[in-house]
Formats: sequence, C-alpha cells, structure tokens
Amino acid sequence: MDMPGYYEFCCRVKIISGHDALEKIPDTLAQLNAGRPMIVTDKGVVGAGLIDIVVNAISNGVNIRAIADDVPPDSDLRIVNSLARLYHEKGCDSLIAIGGGSVMDTAKGINIIVSEKADNLMKFSGANALKRALRPLIAIPTTAGTGSEVTLVAVIKDHEKHLKMAFVSNFLLPDASIVDSRMTLTLPPAITAATGMDALSHAVEAYTCLAKNPLSDAHALAAIRLISDNLLKVTVNPGDKKGRLGMSSAATLAGIAFGNSMVGMVHTLGHSVGSVCGVPHGVCMAILLPYGLEYNMHKNGHLTAELLLPMAGAEVYAATPKEERAEKVIALIRLMNQDLHEATGGRHARFLKEALDRDGKEMVPKEKLPDIAETALRDGSIFYNPEDLDYNDFRMVLEAAWEGVPLKANPMTSGMP
Amino acid sequence: MKNFREVAAEKKSLKRDYVAIMMWFMGRAIQAAAAVDRAVKKEFVELPDGFTFALSVMPSGPHMIVGKDQMRFVRYRGWDPEGKRIDLKMKIKNIEAAMLIFTFQESTTLATARDRLIVDGEVAHACAVVRILDIVEVYLLPKIIAKLAVKRYPAWSFRRKYLGRVLTYVRTIFGF
Amino acid sequence: MRLLMLLPEHYEFFCPVKINSGNRALEQIPFELDALNARKPLVIARKDASERGLVDVIMDAFKDSGIAIGIFDGVPAAPDLKLVRELFNIYRDRGYDAVIAVGGGSVADTAKVLNIAVSGKPEDIEGCAGEDQIKNPLKPLIIVPTLSGTGYEMSRYAFFDGRSYASHFLMPHLAVIDPRMTIQEDAVTTAATALAALAHAVEAYTGSGKNPLADAYAYTAIQLIMEHLVNVIRDQRDRNGRLSLANAHAMAGCAFSNVAPGVAHKLGKVMGDECHLPPGLCMGMLLPHILEKQMSEGGYYISDLLLPLAGFDAYASMAENLRARRAVDTLYDLLKDLSVASGGAIPRTLKDARVSQDILQDIAQRAVGNGASFDMDGCMKVLRNAWEVR
Repeated sequence: MDMPGYYEFCCRVKIISGHDALEKIPDTLAQLNAGRPMIVTDKGVVGAGLIDIVVNAISNGVNIRAIADDVPPDSDLRIVNSLARLYHEKGCDSLIAIGGGSVMDTAKGINIIVSEKADNLMKFSGANALKRALRPLIAIPTTAGTGSEVTLVAVIKDHEKHLKMAFVSNFLLPDASIVDSRMTLTLPPAITAATGMDALSHAVEAYTCLAKNPLSDAHALAAIRLISDNLLKVTVNPGDKKGRLGMSSAATLAGIAFGNSMVGMVHTLGHSVGSVCGVPHGVCMAILLPYGLEYNMHKNGHLTAELLLPMAGAEVYAATPKEERAEKVIALIRLMNQDLHEATGGRHARFLKEALDRDGKEMVPKEKLPDIAETALRDGSIFYNPEDLDYNDFRMVLEAAWEGVPLKANPMTSGMP
Repeated sequence: MKNFREVAAEKKSLKRDYVAIMMWFMGRAIQAAAAVDRAVKKEFVELPDGFTFALSVMPSGPHMIVGKDQMRFVRYRGWDPEGKRIDLKMKIKNIEAAMLIFTFQESTTLATARDRLIVDGEVAHACAVVRILDIVEVYLLPKIIAKLAVKRYPAWSFRRKYLGRVLTYVRTIFGF
Repeated sequence: MRLLMLLPEHYEFFCPVKINSGNRALEQIPFELDALNARKPLVIARKDASERGLVDVIMDAFKDSGIAIGIFDGVPAAPDLKLVRELFNIYRDRGYDAVIAVGGGSVADTAKVLNIAVSGKPEDIEGCAGEDQIKNPLKPLIIVPTLSGTGYEMSRYAFFDGRSYASHFLMPHLAVIDPRMTIQEDAVTTAATALAALAHAVEAYTGSGKNPLADAYAYTAIQLIMEHLVNVIRDQRDRNGRLSLANAHAMAGCAFSNVAPGVAHKLGKVMGDECHLPPGLCMGMLLPHILEKQMSEGGYYISDLLLPLAGFDAYASMAENLRARRAVDTLYDLLKDLSVASGGAIPRTLKDARVSQDILQDIAQRAVGNGASFDMDGCMKVLRNAWEVR
C-alpha cells in the first residue's frame, strides 16, 4: 500500500447505528446540553411516515419545538433564512435533520445563521470561514445515500442571484448521525437503486482518484463490499431490515471516504448532467461510473483492479488474471445497473438516453450534450481526477454514455498520455 | 521558570525571497502567455470583466496578483493585494508548502490533492485559472519537469511550443 | 460461495481525531490552530526530545507563521499533579490557548490531564478520573507522536499519577505525524510499540464491540504494521516505514477507543507491570495464542483478519476454511521474523523474555480480576502456550 507523501483525514461525527438507534437521540442531545430541537425535513419524508416514527421514538426525552417540512429538492437560501427565523421564534436550541442531501445542506445552512447570529449567509461562504462550534445538529439520513451527514460541505443556492454558495468547514459536521433501519425501509426501489449507486460512486472515486489515503481506502473498501452484498437484495426486497442497515452503513462509510478523498470525473459529469437536465444525482452516478473508470484506466487501472475483491469476492478475484481485473470490475458495475434496471421494472436507467421523467419524457436529449460538456469545464471535482478532460473529451464520454456503448481503449482526444 | 522558554515568531527570509521572485516571474509569464497563446487568451476572455485573482502564501505573503484591466488586457498587477478587489484567492497554507510548489516537488494538482492550498471564490473560475497555470507551466518549464507539473502533457505543434516559449520568455523578462 | 459480511447491527462510533500525516506536516499546524480558534500554543515535551533535536524542528516549523510558542521540555518519566499545576500556571499566566504534546506515553498523558485543568480549573482533575466523568469539550490539544508512542496518545485514555481517565473529550483534536519526528528508536522499543498497536487493532477487528467504522481504522493499522514493521527492524533508516508505523499507532489508538479492551490488552498490561517488560511486547507474544483459543471456539472474524494481515492476493487464493489458521500462523511468523531481524533482541516466547513460570498464575488472576473475557483456565492455557513455543 502506498503511503501518500502527505494526507489529511477527519470525521468527527458520532455514528449511532441499529434497528432502534433513534431512541438514543434524547441522550445524545442531553450530552450536548440541548433538548429543544427543531426538526428540518421535506414533504417526501413526512409522506413516508418517517417523521411520525422519529417523533414517537424521541418525544419522551426531548421537547420538539418545531417541525419544518418545506425544504425543496434543491437547497434554497430563502428557505434557510425563513427556517432560521422559525428556529428563533420557537426558542429552539438544536437541530435534527431528517432526509437526504438537500435537507442536510439546508440544516447546515440554518445552523450557521442561528449559531453565528448572522444576517447574511454569504459572509461565511468558502473554506474555513467558521471559527467555532455551531449549535448541536443530529442528522438522520433517509436514503443510502448521499453521505452528506458525514461531510463538511454544504451547498446552498441563491435562486434570486443565480449563485451557488459552498461552505466548507469541520464545524458544519453534524454532532451525530443516526443510522436506523426504519428510516430506509420504505424507500421505493428506483430511489433505493439510484442512491445506492450514488454511494458506490463515492466509494469507488475516493479509492481511485488523486487524494486517496490508506484510511479513506479502508472505508471505501468496506462500503463497496456492503453495497455489493446488499443493494440488489434491498431493491428486490425493500423490507429486508438487515440489508437496509447494511446499505446505510455503506453510505456512511462511502461518505466518510469521499469526504476525505474527494471525487473525480464521474461527479464532474454527473453534476453537469444534473444541473443542465435535472436528472437525479444518483441516476447520473450509476450511468457514468463505468465510463469514469474506463476513461481513467491508463492512469488508475491498477487501483480499479483491486476493487474486484470487495465487489465480487475472493473466489472470483483469485480466478481472474491480474490484467483482466479492472475490466471485470467495470463489467460488474454495468451488470449491477442491468440487474437494478430489471428489478425496478425499467425505471433505473442504464444509459443517458434511457433516463425518463415521471411523464415518460426523455430527460437528456442528444442536443443538450454540448451544453453539458461546457458546464463540466467549470466543475471543481476534476482537480482530483487522475486524467485531464477538455471539452472534446467530455463530449466523447457523454456521447458514449448516452448511447450506452463502452469507451474504446486510450480514449483521450488530445495530448500525450 | 526552569525548562520553560518562549520563542517569538521569526521569518524565513530566504525562502520568502525565493517564492516572491518565482511569483513575480510567474505573474509576468501569465501576462505574456495571454498575449501569445490562443488557449490562454480564450480562457481569459470567458472570465468576467476586471476579473482579478491572487496567489498568496499565508499568513503574510508573498503574493502574486493578475487581472484584466479596463482595456481587457491581462496584466500582472504586482505583489501587494492592498486596495485591490480580488475575485479569486488561492491561498497556500504556509511558506514550506509554497516552496514545495515552486521547487516543483509538488505540482499545483498534487498540492491541491494534498490540502496545501485553499480556494476562496467561484470554483468555475478556479478551474479556468488552473488550466491557465498549466499552459504557462508548459511554456516555462522543460518537458521533463512540466510533465510532472501537469496531468497531461499537450501535443502542441512545433511552432506553438518553441516559438510560443521564446515569445513568452521575452515578454516575461521585458514585461510587455 | 460468497461469505457475506456479518454486520454488527447495534454500534456506536466516535473518533474526533484529525490525522495529518506526511512531508512538512508540522508546518500546517499554524493553519490548524487558526481553524481551532487558537493563537498561542504551549509545547510540552521530555528532555530527550530536546536533546534529539525534535523541539528545534517544531520551532522551525513555526517560523514565518507569526505565532509565538512556549516550550516546556522538562516533563519527567513519571509526572505528577504538582507538575500539572506548574504547567497550568504557565498556561494561564501567559495566555496560552492550546497545548501541543511532542512524544508519547507520559507527555501525552500529561497533556491530557493539563487540558482538563486549563479547560476548567486544576481542582477539577481528580474528579474527572474514571469513566466518562468529563462533561464538556476541552481546549485545543494537538499531539505530535514519535515512535515511542503506542497510539494511546490518540485514544480516549490517560493514565496519570496512579489514576485512570477515560473520556472521548480527552482525545486530541489533531495528530500530526511528520517523518522528521518519527526518528529511529532501538529495535525493542520499535517492536513493542508496534505490537501494542497491532494487538489493539486485531482485538478491535475480531472482538466484541466490533463495528465497520472501527474496522476501517483497525484494518489500516494492521496492514501498515504487517507491511513495514519487520523492514524497519531490519533497517531503521527506512523513513517511509517509520512514518507508516506511526500512522498505524494513531489509527490503532482510534479503533481501540471504540471497542472494549480485549484479552491481549488485559493480560499484556498486567504482565508488563509484573515482569517489568514493555506491555506491547507482552501483548504481541500472547496474541496468536489468544486467537488460537478463540479459533477453537468458533471465533468468526479471524478468517477475515487474513485480509489486512496478508493482503488481497494471499487472502483470495486461500480456501475459506483455511484462512483463520493462516491468519494465526502469520502472527506466529511475525514474531519469528522479528526475533531473527533483531538478532534475538526481540523475544518470541515468554521464556525468551525471561518471564518466570511461577508468576503466570498471578498474572492470570490479576487479568481476570480486571475483567478479561477469558476465565482462569483460559488465561492459564494461553500463558502456558506462550511460554515455550516449539
């Protein structure tokens, strides 16, 4: 194993896992000298009955002062501000975020405002702008998942000024993340598949990109093993509690891995497809993951090869010659997409052409690919990708991912490898 | 008190001077490359009017400031950030990290991956600046070093590489 | 047939330690202090750290940072509360707001206890002894380990002036592992500290309280030690090897803080105390025998242990039902290799280490009294097997 010349690793979130982890929340808040939380969530979570489960589990031990469920699918500055006002009105002293990435980011944003008594969130944007601990924040992820319950980043959009504000600080980390199987039991198959592949892409990119380090590698390998064992199972059988907990742990592990080692071109392209065409993040990740590995093969194929062990197990790893392992990993990921496609009755898209919205309309028309490639040039995750991509390279990968055909070997359109 | 002493903060003058000189050179080279190279020109054209970025060493310099003036020319704007509106700040965390970068032991890419610097400002702009720095490094450095500094060494035409390199160097030294 | 990973279902995990490791890591400290809202650190160390030039390296790292540092290098091998009072006075009178401990063992313990004092008052210290008696976060604490530390520095434990302290609030905010500080030690010290870390990591990976998060730290620690320990004993100049070992120690400390201490820890600690041996050496010698016993009782996770012990290829090519055996054998081999590489300086058996057979009963009794999860018979079996290995 290569020890990097230099690396940093940190995850200060307390992880509490189990089939009845929610019941530990009152004690956790008490240890943080808090007891009057505001719950931040969205209507989807409410609709799934999850808020009721949480309230039943904790209302004996804490005084829930407010439940705010109007967080939109994309984090929004106006909501952050209005919920911060609600927090003050109701005399809250802590936050409980129940939901996916957008809820987590919103809660982190609210926490900045109420802790720093700020009137303008912008003041704290960028890296290391926060200097001290914020109010207690408990995160309860309801997907498995984005991993944003263990990352130190929050992204809040100002839709009026068309700005995307990024906040990076260790103080944004929740004090605790509650991994409870009840929170993902009712996740529908298509979302299970998409968020599961999101977690896989986090783990795979953390392991194969430039900021990797031994500790995040260990988290990534464990995540990949758990996802390979559990994702298809829980897509086919949503009530599998053990499987759900396995996926949730995997998402946490993957979140910690990529939170420390960043991600690469799969996210660069995925963010761009998401922002231009509105395709959900997990779906983009699932489709683009094999392409990222193919494109980078000449630079990190040896790392991709190692992933065969957690993905397929010891027998397959030992039986596959070293030179073929990387390709086998890529084939297995495509196979996973295929299996998930079948298990979700065709809703899990295997390539961009296949991504449809609720009305059955194509979400990524071929004419949009140039736009997406342009947008990708402005995304920072490319810093950590082992290989460069210019506009033509992005186009080429997008076109292949659109059709669903693999990339040919040595695919870069310019330069010396 | 026995066994106790206080050590005041000193400066690492030699290293600061070295980094300051390298930054001066780099800043003027960016100005030169913006006049000579098509790709650098294009990157700057797509950045907003008056866009200015600074590469700095924490906590107290040296600095390199480059920006577009009112005539949209790219200018090296010196080493003093005082009084200037800076849109993008790339801050190297300490003088030793700056030495690693400017003695080419760690490329900009590797330094970023190793948390040696932080970026304050819009990420899209940072991406453009890194692409610009990459091209300038290919002009300034011999291939054997530049290959370590950039992820993908470009396959430029003879004219672009050698004529461009000469022009860049001349403009850098004479400052136009 | 794929062996599915058995996931422990109920667990809690917390590791607040940030790890910065590698080339020029010390120079990042001013930035990290700023992130912790601190501006004036007090550095504490033992005299020999100064004599070996380590304090000079720290001073150099702070040049150009604009930060003035205080240095106290008189921490003795067995510090007491009187010293902590002295340090508290310096900290308070001169307005320090962070502690940086250089080294392992007594320096780190002193720093942790000092941190209790400066975050409240010195009178608080004794009341904080025991399990989880600290109620609030403490002030910034940075630890810069050398190879004489076992990773306890990063753990939630401190042992000071006859008392035990245990609280995650004692864990440092930051561990800075810099190759200039992980200087060469003698073979026995290097082995003892690494074997302590290995035993802790292995017991975290296979014992009760096992969980996927602690496993990530334990796994990495085991891998690093197996890849580098023997090489470093053979050639102490292996800088990368020493850096890797220091990393392993820190990670083992983090894993260890999240699981219940195992039998190797309890037996090893008592033996070290009774026989005046480094506890880590004792833990290392006992470890394979302990695993042997667990294996015979169906210890499930031992076969999985082969992965970090031997690497991907060796693990994958070994038949499933043979992996546990191979894992334990790998540990026996490690002790053999260490003994050979050190020209016999590192003992392989208790007999080699000159442990008297008469004392084994006492050791077992004390360990059981301390809550070891084996009973008297079990402990005695392990001790006898470890006494003379054929």
